[in-house]
Amino acid sequence: MSLKINTILDQEDDLWIVDVIGEIDIYTANKLKETLVKILDEHNTSIKINCLELDYIDSTGLGVLIGALKRLKQENKNIIISNAKPNISKLLSITGLNKIFVIQ
Amino acid sequence: MTDSLSISVPSKPEYVSVVRLTASAVASRVGFNVEELEDIKVAVAEACTNAIKHGICEKGENFDVKFFLDKEKISIHVIDHGSGFSCNQLEEPDLTSPKEGGLGIFIIKSLMDEVDVISNMGEGTIIKMTKYLGEDI
Repeated sequence: MSLKINTILDQEDDLWIVDVIGEIDIYTANKLKETLVKILDEHNTSIKINCLELDYIDSTGLGVLIGALKRLKQENKNIIISNAKPNISKLLSITGLNKIFVIQ
Repeated sequence: MTDSLSISVPSKPEYVSVVRLTASAVASRVGFNVEELEDIKVAVAEACTNAIKHGICEKGENFDVKFFLDKEKISIHVIDHGSGFSCNQLEEPDLTSPKEGGLGIFIIKSLMDEVDVISNMGEGTIIKMTKYLGEDI
């Protein structure tokens, strides 16, 4: 059970693209948090979380995304969730978080 | 006839995925479909995460996960002996000011048919959850 994260700055759209591969739970959420803090320290702009290869996320992972969104909202930036699998979409919808993140 | 089995789990984040996979294997014995199994996995993992976060005690004790299998339902109890928390503090997520924490119990209640959280300060917490086969309540 692990989480792999790749980040790249799309300079044309001024957007961080973050590929999350594997599982985000209480064990791996901290790694995501550290990564997001690091890239936002480097350049504070909207983040697209690419969930194409994300199999699982739990409340601690969602908490990390909420934390990052709070920081971004101060500058009118966003978090975009893209390619979420049905189980992840379901979690976003029952928590109502599909209304605060941009879903693609 | 109820079959039961239980496991004792170290209060460490790396073991949540072990319980998640166990829950899926046990629940599939009852005959839940893939989507229901996914719900059960997520709910059990949230309860374990809760036990590890709020149940941490100095001795680093294990917490217990008990499964009760019936013909038409599964009940799962996640029991820790940690510090407990005040159930009155539980609230629904407020989307106008979303918080980093507090989603776990809400998610469990959304995914399972019956949920009971018994927590006493200083005595630990029991989260009981039941899912019925083939019906959406």
